[in-house]
Amino acid sequence: MLSAELSTTLQDIAQTLGLESEQGKALSQFLAKGFPTSKWEEWKYTSLKDFNGIDRNWFPKGKSNMPVSADWAELIIRSSDAHWSIDKASSNDGIEVLSFDDFIQKCPEFQEIWANKNPILDQNSLYDLNVALCPEHIVIWIKKDVEITQAILHQYQVNSSDKATSVQSRLLIYVEEGAKASFIEQQTSTGSADILSNFVQEIFVSKGAQFTYLKDQDFQQGVSHIDHTFIYQAEGSQVDTFTFSLNASLIRNNLHFYIDGSQVVSNLNGLYVPGENQLMDSHTVVDHRMPHAESNELYKGVLMGNATGVFNGKIFVRQDAQKTNAFQSCRNVLASTRATMNTKPQLEIWADDVKCSHGTTTGQLNEEALFYMRSRGISLPAARTLLLLAFVQEVINKVEHPVLRESLTEKIVAKIQQSVDLSN
Amino acid sequence: MLSIKNLHASIGEKEILRGIDLEVKAGEVHAIMGPNGSGKSTLASVLAGREDYEVTEGSVQFLGKDLLDLAPEARAAEGIFLAFQYPVEIPGVSTTNFLKSAVNEIRKYRGEDPMDAVQFLKMFKEKMAYVNIDQSLLSRALNEGFSGGEKKRNEIFQMAVLDPKLAILDETDSGLDIDALRIVAEGVNKLKSPNNATIVVTHYQRLLDYIVPDYVHVLYKGRIVKSGTKELALELEERGYDWIKSEVDQ
Repeated sequence: MLSAELSTTLQDIAQTLGLESEQGKALSQFLAKGFPTSKWEEWKYTSLKDFNGIDRNWFPKGKSNMPVSADWAELIIRSSDAHWSIDKASSNDGIEVLSFDDFIQKCPEFQEIWANKNPILDQNSLYDLNVALCPEHIVIWIKKDVEITQAILHQYQVNSSDKATSVQSRLLIYVEEGAKASFIEQQTSTGSADILSNFVQEIFVSKGAQFTYLKDQDFQQGVSHIDHTFIYQAEGSQVDTFTFSLNASLIRNNLHFYIDGSQVVSNLNGLYVPGENQLMDSHTVVDHRMPHAESNELYKGVLMGNATGVFNGKIFVRQDAQKTNAFQSCRNVLASTRATMNTKPQLEIWADDVKCSHGTTTGQLNEEALFYMRSRGISLPAARTLLLLAFVQEVINKVEHPVLRESLTEKIVAKIQQSVDLSN
Repeated sequence: MLSIKNLHASIGEKEILRGIDLEVKAGEVHAIMGPNGSGKSTLASVLAGREDYEVTEGSVQFLGKDLLDLAPEARAAEGIFLAFQYPVEIPGVSTTNFLKSAVNEIRKYRGEDPMDAVQFLKMFKEKMAYVNIDQSLLSRALNEGFSGGEKKRNEIFQMAVLDPKLAILDETDSGLDIDALRIVAEGVNKLKSPNNATIVVTHYQRLLDYIVPDYVHVLYKGRIVKSGTKELALELEERGYDWIKSEVDQ
């Protein structure tokens, strides 16, 4: 539960927001629950108990930074402490970046979809906190049959100040029928003070549309990033997600697929490489509600130093979802004797004509392989690095974009190499 | 080149090598034969530096250096090569990448500049001919899904690339059909020179039809109990190991 002091502060904020407003109500709900602790089943290994006593700057202003340039991006948007701006506008009228209110006015037909979204949301107190305190609710709208060949780049940035900071950021992406786009998100931070970065994304992918979402999570130590990504998929759509968790004190990724049509393809790829004093937690849900859909989940982790990793992968196959193919694999290497990995696959299947499989493994590097490599002249640190890179490459190689593939490889190599060198 | 004196080695509480003496000079081929469990593979592993074994007594000098003092990778850089009885699968690492790392790590150890991609390409092409190995095999993950013959051929290819001073072939004939055996043996013979030496560890004589040894040693209960020339191998083929066992056990 929240400390009395923090509770009072947030109650005052609720008053200011208006107790009957959507935000005020959400904050009251948050106040009733507080931050998740290890007593919450879904937060068993990722307790945010300490947050219940930390007062923060709840409304950071954001920082203005030099715009980035990336010639491979069609559109570059930035959110600095949840304040949004456009660094490079798109020349394509098929994409719009606008506020949620403007969007609903321009696209009234979305209201029905939005009203029915409730079953998608895995309600937890952090979602309420986000709804209550996010300063801007932004929409990226990709219109019917629009094909964006170059990627959309989102620079997600949180900044620390003298006081602990809370950033509540919220984004909606609407991909209309037959549209095709890739969305690349670079999540970073400045400063090394305590930041709670709480990011909600709601993504609606319409009939026959294709959407790729890549997250590169590379924060400084001190940042706790909680990521809630809800993806709704209609008939014949394909969504590929890539979640690369590189650095932060704590990363919790909630990724929730809601499959609401036939012939849907959902590919979930993840790679986490936590090191000393880092915790990375992936909670995924794939909810098959309609027949003839396919999901493939591949998550891999290399855990170094005293890192903790968590993987919880739920697959639901509802009664109507006959002929579903759902595959899940989570493989981990403990590159240090002090690292811990907690895995929990959870399959709940109500349909009888389905193909589902899951497998999780956690192990150390193969000693025989290491000796074999050393007997050929490869030093122990180099042998370990080579084996670990080969292990993570399977996920990285699925990234189609050459620039990103290269930069991710470079960063991950550096991190693994550093840890291998330290351990020798 | 190699001088083993009174070598004792154990795994756990169990003593496996119980006083091995062996001298190998440049240009020589030595065969180590013996019944199962006599310590042949242990000797090969100890020379390559496998850490499961503890050397409890004795010494091994290699080109004037105390071999037992060196890490496995340093032994490789000094010129020792062990062809494995069971080559290990290395998922995700191709033979070419593996060998590039190995060659450049060895060059670093020796204070030489790393080789570039063009130099590698040229060298690989040249060495591929030695063992009749296909390029497609080299770009696949090392040993992953390879047949027994492909694995052994790959071992000899690695040997050709690393160009060791002392090659130790540990039961290289196991799991090979006669054609593969001949190709592997031809590779080994081509790599032979007055400057390097080979130790062939084998249970059967048949490999020695192709790789002709200068000396044959019989290992039994952790000791070399008989040494001779290639005729000894033929005698073993004909009479088996029992007569040696009874000689020793008496």
